[in-house]
Amino acid sequence: MRREKYQWSPAVKPFLLFWLIDWLIKSLNSLRLVTNFDSHFSIYNFFSDLEQDGFSKNPFFHGIIAEVPEQHKTKEGHTKIGYALYFYSYSSWSGRAIYMEDLYVMPEFRGKGVGKALMSKVAQLALAAGCHQLNFTVLDWNKPSMDFYLSQGCFDITATMGYHCLRCEGEALQHLAQP
Amino acid sequence: MDFSIRAANLDDCKDIARMIMELAEYEKVSDHVKVTQKDLEQDGFSKNPFFHGIIAEVPEQHKTKEGHTKIGYALYFYSYSSWSGRAIYMEDLYVMPEFRGKGVGKALMSKVAQLGLAAGCHQLNFTVLNWNKPSMDFYLSQGCFDVTATMDYHCMRCEGEALKHLAQL
Repeated sequence: MRREKYQWSPAVKPFLLFWLIDWLIKSLNSLRLVTNFDSHFSIYNFFSDLEQDGFSKNPFFHGIIAEVPEQHKTKEGHTKIGYALYFYSYSSWSGRAIYMEDLYVMPEFRGKGVGKALMSKVAQLALAAGCHQLNFTVLDWNKPSMDFYLSQGCFDITATMGYHCLRCEGEALQHLAQP
Repeated sequence: MDFSIRAANLDDCKDIARMIMELAEYEKVSDHVKVTQKDLEQDGFSKNPFFHGIIAEVPEQHKTKEGHTKIGYALYFYSYSSWSGRAIYMEDLYVMPEFRGKGVGKALMSKVAQLGLAAGCHQLNFTVLNWNKPSMDFYLSQGCFDVTATMDYHCMRCEGEALKHLAQL
C-alpha cells in the first residue's frame, strides 16, 4: 500500500494537545504578523481556551492537522505544518453548511498541495454531514489566497452579491444585551 | 405595542419557514430558498442542532389579517474566532413590515446578544447586504461595525459541483 505523504489525524487525542496548542500559538502569532492584526490576547488564557472550546462535550470548533514525517520536520523540530479549523453553520436558504475559520500552512511547506488537501478534507466532512455550502472569509488584498480559492471554484459573495460582514463586540455587545 | 420574545420550538417551524420566504423576497432572492419546514424541524430541533431560533409574538388582538401572531424571528448558531474565541452568529433577523419601528428587531437582536454573552461569547457576527440601508443604519446605531468595509474581509463560498469537486482529492 502506498504510504501517504501527509498523515491525517482528527486532532482529538488528548496527549497530542500540548504540542498542538504550543504549535498553534506560534503559528497564529506568525499569522498575526502576516495580517497586521493588532490584537492583544493572553497566551495562558488562549492555551486553555482551545482545549475547552475544541475538545469538550459540545465543541465550538473542530480541527484538522497536516503532518510530515520526522525526516521533513522544520529546524525547530515541528512535524505539524498546517491546520484548518471549522465548525458547522446554517443557511436559512440552503440549509446545513460548514464554515472554515482558518486555513494555514507554514511558509516553507506551501505550493505542495497541503492547503488544497486540508480544504478538501473540510469539504469532504461537509458533504458527509449533509452540508451544501463551505463558507469562509479572506482579506481582499491577500491575492495569493484569493487566487487559490477562486481556482478551487469558490466565489466572492461580497464582490458579487454585496454581502458585508458585520460585528458587535466589547462594550457595544454588553450594551446591546441590556433589555 | 405589546410583544414577547421566546425560544423557538418545533411547532414554530411553519411560521419560521413562512418568514424566511418573506425575508428572501425582501432581499430579492426568493428563488434561492431551498430549505423546507421539514429541514428546519430536523436541523433545528434534533439532538445536535445546526441552529437555534427565537420568535417574536404578539397577543391575539394584534394578529395580522392572515391570522399570524408570530411576527418576527432570529436564527443563530455558535461559532468560533481563532483570535477572540467563542462567538455567536446571527444568520437571520426579520420583523414583518407592519410591525417594524416598534423595537421588535432590537429586542430580538438583544436576546441573541444575551444568549451569546451567557455562553461566554465575545463576538456577535452576521452579514447584511450593502444596499440595505435601513438595516445597515440600524446595525451601526446598535454599535456594530462593518468588518468588510473597515478590515477588507470578503465572504467566500464553495457550493454545488465545485464543492463536490473540491472534496475529491
